[in-house]
Amino acid sequence: MDIKTKLKQVLIEELNLEDITMEEIEDDAPLFGEGLGLDSLDAVELVVVVQKHFGVEIKDMEEGRPALQSINSLAAFIEEKQK
Amino acid sequence: MMGMQINGLGLVGGFGCGKEELLSVLEKGVTPVSQAGLRDHLLPLFQADTAPLEKYLNKRALRRIDHFSRLALLGAFEALEDAGAPEFARGRLGVVIGSGFGALNTTFDFLDTVIDDGDGCASPTAFSNSVHNAAAAHISMQLNLTGPSLTVSQFDQSFVSGLLSARQWLSEGRVDAVLLGVVDEYCQVLGYCWERYLGRQPGSKMRPLDFDRISAIPAEGAAFFLLQPATGSGPKYAIIDKAVMGQLWGGRPGLIAGEPLILGCEGHPLNGRIYRQQLSSHLPVACYTPLYGASPVTPGFDLAVAALSLKRGKMFPSADRGGDYYSGSVVTEPRQNNRLTCLRYGFAGEYAVISLKGEG
Amino acid sequence: MKNHPVAISGAGCLCAAGMTLDESFSAMLRGERNPKPPVAFYSSHTEKFPVFEIRAPLPVPGNDVELLRTTRLLFCAVEEALADAGLEPEELGELRVGVCVGTTVGSAMNNEDFYRSFRACAEPAMTAIERYLRSNPAAALVRRYRLDGPCQTVVNACSSGTDAIGLGAAWIRSGLCDIALVGGADELCRTTYNGFASLMIADPEPCKPFSSRRKGLNLGEGAGIMILESDTFLKKRDKRARGYLLGYGSAVDAYHLTAPHPEGEGLQRALAECLATGGITAEKVAFINSHGTGTPDNDRTESRVLGKLFPATPFVATKCFTGHTLGAAGAIEAVLTLASLEHQLLPGNVGLGIPDSGLPVHPVADNLAIHGSVALSESLAFGGNNSALLLGLEVG
Repeated sequence: MDIKTKLKQVLIEELNLEDITMEEIEDDAPLFGEGLGLDSLDAVELVVVVQKHFGVEIKDMEEGRPALQSINSLAAFIEEKQK
Repeated sequence: MMGMQINGLGLVGGFGCGKEELLSVLEKGVTPVSQAGLRDHLLPLFQADTAPLEKYLNKRALRRIDHFSRLALLGAFEALEDAGAPEFARGRLGVVIGSGFGALNTTFDFLDTVIDDGDGCASPTAFSNSVHNAAAAHISMQLNLTGPSLTVSQFDQSFVSGLLSARQWLSEGRVDAVLLGVVDEYCQVLGYCWERYLGRQPGSKMRPLDFDRISAIPAEGAAFFLLQPATGSGPKYAIIDKAVMGQLWGGRPGLIAGEPLILGCEGHPLNGRIYRQQLSSHLPVACYTPLYGASPVTPGFDLAVAALSLKRGKMFPSADRGGDYYSGSVVTEPRQNNRLTCLRYGFAGEYAVISLKGEG
Repeated sequence: MKNHPVAISGAGCLCAAGMTLDESFSAMLRGERNPKPPVAFYSSHTEKFPVFEIRAPLPVPGNDVELLRTTRLLFCAVEEALADAGLEPEELGELRVGVCVGTTVGSAMNNEDFYRSFRACAEPAMTAIERYLRSNPAAALVRRYRLDGPCQTVVNACSSGTDAIGLGAAWIRSGLCDIALVGGADELCRTTYNGFASLMIADPEPCKPFSSRRKGLNLGEGAGIMILESDTFLKKRDKRARGYLLGYGSAVDAYHLTAPHPEGEGLQRALAECLATGGITAEKVAFINSHGTGTPDNDRTESRVLGKLFPATPFVATKCFTGHTLGAAGAIEAVLTLASLEHQLLPGNVGLGIPDSGLPVHPVADNLAIHGSVALSESLAFGGNNSALLLGLEVG
């Protein structure tokens, strides 16, 4: 499974987004604010999700904020760190 | 100190959701008991279902809200709706919540993430929801309330402690009304501890008036009340005119001779013996805890039954009718009454007395 | 709206800065602190977050191992406060005494060892559960001194200590008791340590509230207690008050479970109620003990509110000396506020470094003499609770 697909899957599961399907999550849509409408608590939960499912650590939110913008940015961040 | 009107009831427990369901089991005298899985067997449990919450909040809004907070939210919404959805200025409706054990399932869910995934992968969402005042926070957020909010936790004295604070706020005019609630949930660890202390129970109907017998069945739920100062216009249900929490070593609680008592005994010999020692057998008593089980929410349900009784002017027949194990006077027929006292003895000499009167 | 002032006849505290109020305050004036990774428990985080741990053995009231550490810390602070008030523990049982205490860990059924054993399908010893059941802070105090009066354990997260003091004062005013033991206590534990780390609001270095380099909080542990007393009873005992609780306010943000309202709306409301019940306007406040945890969010929100309502009032963030002691914080800070009023002296904020220029106001960097008899202590909590106390040296 590619990173983006897996990300969408764990996002829905771990953040309990029962009312959203994977197809509805656009790769470049903002995850926070509008778009998916996640908030600061979801952001730190996502950090744990990324660590748990991809083995990639986000040390602080300075590093995290740009990475967590969208599925695209997060996938790119993970790929880079996994090298 | 001034009296408080009970103007709304929000109830969810093993009997279902809403006062109609509680009234139904009060008439029938029995509530069906569920079974919860615990390791390799089942444990009897008065389980509470929060599905009716979907009437008030959609799935997205409930996304990160756990069972504990859902119970509280359901109680709060129901109490306000039952009161006729009165309007208050955002800062003038206070929130007081008591809980014996808090959000237990989420507390252990958080520990699960620590144990299974390591310290570095613990869930921040689980941690945030495990703090005791999470339920009060969710209520404030969903109802857009900005007044004072208080959560207290002291096992089975949690409800009366919260009630005293509600009264304090209303007397001082800090708020115009208080949403007072008590909420507790079942979790497997609690069930395990229960059985370690009390042994496995067959799940037959509780007999709390049999003071030496273990018959307690665990329970969960929420009991919420909309409380307002007692004013000229009558209460919807009843007026609380006395509320005391104390310790037996400071003296016995003052009770009014001849006034019927709703006893909060729950089938635990540890405090059952205190009831036996303290009660004079000629006082007419009723016990309804077999209808909703044993938990720190029980005193809240007892108060709700008192309120419902006073509204209709008649006590309900006791759910435990006594028998050869209780020689005193038990209310077994609907009985005309305009005053009631809820009396509860704790395990270490603490007590709670709440007295109410009907309108007119 | 103005409340009748409630006399404070005694105070006690213990925290990483010191085992008594005097010790703690003196250490702060010397700018001393030594936060380090925890000794009492292990954690596998790659970062070793410093904590403000009480490493010295607890004095005698705190040595009953049948009780949670939180409750033992509480007992120590209560003993100090009672001695300060000139009250004999043995006489309390005959009086009308209320207890209102804040906590978080003290009410949490979260013993990790027990749970691990339970999960592994073992039959763990019930000792941990028994300890928890007998350690409810307010109930344990009632049992210890055989009291018979109002009894409440407040679990309003980080504002519990402030709230417990404000709520207990109301009991005195309405005559529910003559004396009230009020405050808060909390111990360091692995669960809260892991919890705050997971929220990414723990600083891997010693905390630096309102600093440009702040990264978060450091947890701490301790207890703070005030003895509140009715005028009549104090007079009957022929004792003098150390100070007075003049006002109390609390309000909720209704915004988010963990983040404060960006404009601090709830805090503003709480402060308004606090000043109104104290019968004081903002300019009369000599200084403020801020919540000042050192997290980016808290300090930003709090400084916005302080800058708006108290632009010229000096303030301190004593958590740079105590860490964030959760349920104890508001109580420890209230007694420290009393100490500062008595000494007319504020401890400078250690670790402040270069204050964050993006914030409208900053705490005092060096010890500062203050002039005035009225001060404020505020707390912001998870769940959006905001509370504030107004303390004074005099009644008027």
